[in-house]
Amino acid sequence: MATVDLTSLDNTIEDGKHRAPLVLGGMDYSDVTDAVAGVWEKKQPAIWWPIFGLAVSLTMLFGALIMHLFFTGVGVWGNNNPTYWAFDIVNFVFWVGIGHAGTLISAILFLFRQHWRTSINRAAEAMTIFAVVCAATFPGIHIGRIWVFYWLFPVPTEHLAMWPNFRSPLLWDVFAVGTYATTSLLFWYMGMVPDLATFRDRSKSKIGQFVYGLLSLGWTGSARNWHRYEMAYTILAALATPLVLSVHTVVSFDFAVSQLPGWHTTIFPPYFVAGAIFSGFAMVVTLLVPVRKLYGLENLITIRHLENMNKIIMATGLMVGTAYSIELFIAAYSGVASEQFAFYNRAFGNFGWAYFIMFTCNVFIPQLFWFKWCRTTPWFMVIVSIFVNIGMWFERFVIIMALCRDFIPGSWFYYRPTWVDLMMLIGSFGLFFTLFLLFCRYLPVIAMSEVKNVIPHADHGHEGGHGHEGGHPATSH
Amino acid sequence: MAHSHSKQPKPAGPKSKTIGLLAQFDDPDSLVAACERARDAGYEKFDAYSPFPVHGIDPAMGIRRTRLPFFVLAIGLTGCLVALAMQYYTNAMDWTKIFPGYAFYISGKPLEISPANIPVTFEVIILSSAFATFFGMWIFNRLPQFANPLHRIDRFRRATNDRFFLMVNADDSKYDANRTRQQFEEWGATAIENVDMDLTDQEIPKFFKLAGIVGLFLLLVPPVMIFRAYGSTNRAPRLHVVPDMDWQDKYKAQQTSPNIGTDKEPVYLYADDRAMRAPVAGTIARGDLQEDDRYYRGYEPGTLPPPAQPVAADGSSASFVSTSGPSAQDSAPAAQDPATTGQYPGEPDWIETVPSPFVVSETAIARGKQRFEIYCSVCHGYDGNGNGLVNKRALALAATGQAQWTTAKSLHDPTVKVQPIGRIFDTISNGRNSMGPYKAQIPVEDRWAIALYVKALQETGIQPAAGAAPPAAPQQ
Repeated sequence: MATVDLTSLDNTIEDGKHRAPLVLGGMDYSDVTDAVAGVWEKKQPAIWWPIFGLAVSLTMLFGALIMHLFFTGVGVWGNNNPTYWAFDIVNFVFWVGIGHAGTLISAILFLFRQHWRTSINRAAEAMTIFAVVCAATFPGIHIGRIWVFYWLFPVPTEHLAMWPNFRSPLLWDVFAVGTYATTSLLFWYMGMVPDLATFRDRSKSKIGQFVYGLLSLGWTGSARNWHRYEMAYTILAALATPLVLSVHTVVSFDFAVSQLPGWHTTIFPPYFVAGAIFSGFAMVVTLLVPVRKLYGLENLITIRHLENMNKIIMATGLMVGTAYSIELFIAAYSGVASEQFAFYNRAFGNFGWAYFIMFTCNVFIPQLFWFKWCRTTPWFMVIVSIFVNIGMWFERFVIIMALCRDFIPGSWFYYRPTWVDLMMLIGSFGLFFTLFLLFCRYLPVIAMSEVKNVIPHADHGHEGGHGHEGGHPATSH
Repeated sequence: MAHSHSKQPKPAGPKSKTIGLLAQFDDPDSLVAACERARDAGYEKFDAYSPFPVHGIDPAMGIRRTRLPFFVLAIGLTGCLVALAMQYYTNAMDWTKIFPGYAFYISGKPLEISPANIPVTFEVIILSSAFATFFGMWIFNRLPQFANPLHRIDRFRRATNDRFFLMVNADDSKYDANRTRQQFEEWGATAIENVDMDLTDQEIPKFFKLAGIVGLFLLLVPPVMIFRAYGSTNRAPRLHVVPDMDWQDKYKAQQTSPNIGTDKEPVYLYADDRAMRAPVAGTIARGDLQEDDRYYRGYEPGTLPPPAQPVAADGSSASFVSTSGPSAQDSAPAAQDPATTGQYPGEPDWIETVPSPFVVSETAIARGKQRFEIYCSVCHGYDGNGNGLVNKRALALAATGQAQWTTAKSLHDPTVKVQPIGRIFDTISNGRNSMGPYKAQIPVEDRWAIALYVKALQETGIQPAAGAAPPAAPQQ
């Protein structure tokens, strides 16, 4: 089907007169279907099994450690006076941050009509949901008396005669993360229904037909259904856009609303949101580069997609760097001794090494993306994005370790994670990768119906004069 | 574009009904063109099927704009009101009988709706709107619909891949099997076939009804059981999911320390079996020095007779009961009659005036009255005549032999009236006879205020009640 020479086609430069294609290799509708459904139909690449085995073992380790925590108590963690918050909230904020890229790509880029999002939104949304699952685990298991977890929600109880405090940032978190997880799940699933119908129609096995038939809700692709579907998709995008910005804002309120030097700042919400997008895009790049290579999706997830994401990583990295500098400036300018101490301690105190890692990974390393080679070379961008993820984990660590040196020097304390802390962090990655690998294995990794919509032919009259010939789609370009 | 007849064998038998005619197109533009012509031809009940939303098909088919946004708006506004009402009910109201709210000031935030309530309100708006969008879309689309004759057509499987279809329903007023087929051919259909609905499996199997009823009944069982357990009381001990929160390995105050070793090799926290340590000899805890005898103990410094037995080092709990007779170097008043001076032998010199830093004032007397009415009046009565409620009740019980009770002293008794204020302070602090000490409950300032108030009461001229005659024996 390919009528265009793959090697000569460059879609990285957007020319106003001639729209660069978003799908390379001259793929037509059925090529797209074959490529995406092929991920699910064909045998998984050999490397899938060892990775999956490792991820599942780590997930089981995670589960075992959670049981250990439940039956022994939160003392198995290194949290101790005055560091009441430690790895659990660091991991929570880290994973919630990762979860921001998906909805940003699906919702905000959709509203801005950034059509290049179509190839990457599905995987990014899936990543969002899996990251939020990992995130929600940590505060969930931190509550101590896990069997009364429902006290987090406004459940009427006659015996207790108590309600949650709706004026507390920790409760806002419950609502923000809960709403975000639910809305992301609805958005993801709704976007997937037409593609699940494709799987239903291609499935050879009875089980596949039944399961995908059930999941696709009897979707036929009726124009009347599409009309309402597109409307609903736009509305969900419009709802998810303020939501995605609010979630990390609320998470930052956990810190900013408290009255602690170094935390009680109004810069936290925007700075957290920028950091979240930064880390989320880094994770998308980390995941999608191997996925496109392993499943041969280079024509759908092109260098242009990756480059665009890298540009966003660089932009948000600069925002985060600006925020770090502004924080230092405000502390110095404020004239408040405890505020100045908090930041001096952050940079040069007992956790100065973490601050150094954070600054290097988040501010200096992404600057490599100023060079075109760096932002268009897949293996290299993965390395950079892994550094960004490390840096963003340390950012949260640095903020929370402010607790180690509180107001009474007599109670200063050097926090050390226990083996349970470290293994739980690793275990949460296992959970994340298990879910992501299962997603690659059983669900459409790329939004086929959306990609078909941006293939030149479907885009009426925008593909340089070959508009209405009515021929085969592949011949129109 | 050559047309091809359906190779589908028509379902034999009468139990099948044609519900429409399906035309296949190979590209979206032909589909849009066909839709336009179908609309022009007067068809109303027809639909187009495509693997992705085709641009321009809505006007071509005459699809009216969906009302979904208004539905979402209505639900979103409802969500806003529900969220505000929920927060107001739970955090600002506490007078409802069932499920009362929890109105407490926490971190100085107002109870009423304030900026602190915005995040939850916002999230509830988004959540309810997202649900309304998601479920509203499916309901408006009449999905899920798992039984659709279209899914039985092999060719139609490509509707989710790369082919485009147009179906005219058989119940459309303009529908005519032959004419519609002809029109489809004119409009460039690459394949045309009948859509037949199989009527043989329309009826629900009989056992479904029974199974449904049984299933519904079984579904009711768990909630009923939960509700029953919720409403009943249980004498069995509470279930402890994680027992080490309730039973912790630690010693509580004033406990003995049990053997934490084995029977053969016992191990105790301390050799004397205690879990706590006595203060180191010669030390005084912070705030416990209290070296001003006048203020803290009510007597002139250095007048405390040496105790018969060793008592506590600071002398604060010097036992007057156990002191034996007048000591040798006792102070001068010891020789006088205690009934007129209130200075008893074997006791220190009680001070006659309030000590500094206590200052006599209206406020101090008012405070003393208020404290007196809390702590003392239950036995001694509001007027100090020993007719408090506890006294009355206890005497009534004592009359029938149900209790033992020593009548509360009237504070207007002559033997009490002559006592210096220091001795009254001491009585309040350490108790006397069957009266218990109040040192632990009442701070020293308040004890002086009460003593002051007692002195004031004694000046009012109230006579001791006739029935409450003082016991003959002198106070000891």
